[in-house]
Amino acid sequence: MSRAVREDVAIIIPVYNEARVIGTVLKHVLKHFKYVVCVDDGSSDASYDEIAKTKAYVVEHPINMGQGAALQTGLEFSRQLSVNYFVTFDADGQHRIEDVKAMLSEIEAGDHDIILGSRFMGETVGMSGTKRAVLKAAIRFSNATSGLVLTDAHNGLRVFNRVVAEGMQITLPDMGHASEIPEIIAEKQFRYKEVPVTIEYTDYSKAKGQSILNAVNIGFDTLLRKVTR
Amino acid sequence: MIIIIQAIVILAALGLVVFVLAGRQTHAVLAWKKIALCLLAVAMMVAVLFPESTNHVAHLFGVGRGADLLLYILTLAFIAYVLNNYLREQREKDRLFRLARKVALIEANERYSISKK
Repeated sequence: MSRAVREDVAIIIPVYNEARVIGTVLKHVLKHFKYVVCVDDGSSDASYDEIAKTKAYVVEHPINMGQGAALQTGLEFSRQLSVNYFVTFDADGQHRIEDVKAMLSEIEAGDHDIILGSRFMGETVGMSGTKRAVLKAAIRFSNATSGLVLTDAHNGLRVFNRVVAEGMQITLPDMGHASEIPEIIAEKQFRYKEVPVTIEYTDYSKAKGQSILNAVNIGFDTLLRKVTR
Repeated sequence: MIIIIQAIVILAALGLVVFVLAGRQTHAVLAWKKIALCLLAVAMMVAVLFPESTNHVAHLFGVGRGADLLLYILTLAFIAYVLNNYLREQREKDRLFRLARKVALIEANERYSISKK
């Protein structure tokens, strides 16, 4: 595997109170990619300082707005960079660089606009039974509202080209964006593909993970938006 | 008779939801909200001054007691209020977030001396 640092890819990482791990994650990602864009979503801990120590770009939200809003900000900043591909990546270190690289080769083949990572096609380490059940229910809901056929919508790992980056407008500020992105893909008729990725659930990422009840909030907001649009 | 009020309440509930949700905040919608509020206030005064009148109205709609009718109306008004406020809050949040994003991007671009294409 080549160790060359790629300069044609922007890695977008929403960060909220991840001071403990973000430094390590960034050091690792920066070994492979030159352009890393962190969006500090109004963290109350030292996340900003930890990011500032590295060579990653950091865009700082003046207030906490949620992960969807942070992704949109990262997207808008990254569009200005001269890159061809965009990657969304979680800050807690649960994604693997090998998966990103595999997804990049997939999109470079040119047959798809966006490649989505799926936990249920690949190996998932340390996921609890209830979490699995809720995610399965979430994907059924998401497929119903978007009309896409996916196995895992709520996965932070996505790779897409400039057409998608320019066309994507995430309006749901919080976790609802995970259901909104498939809807955008359907509406704009982006060519998509799901590939298996491996997620490593560490105690840290589990503690940071969203509560199962939040699924109710996401469902409500998604349906409400369907009616109001 | 009871079928009538059930149909009315259910239709009114659905109508309210659609009305509140679909209502782009046009002047007409705002005006209707004010008219509805005034009507509610008048109805309230009438109900207090002539307690028996609510029973009469209730019987017209097939409801047993005036108090029940008031409860139905109150519930509908409450649902409308909650939905209205929730949506207003979402709209305000959306505006605030757009502003905050703009600020964040301007600040970052300045820091990294990126000029707009």
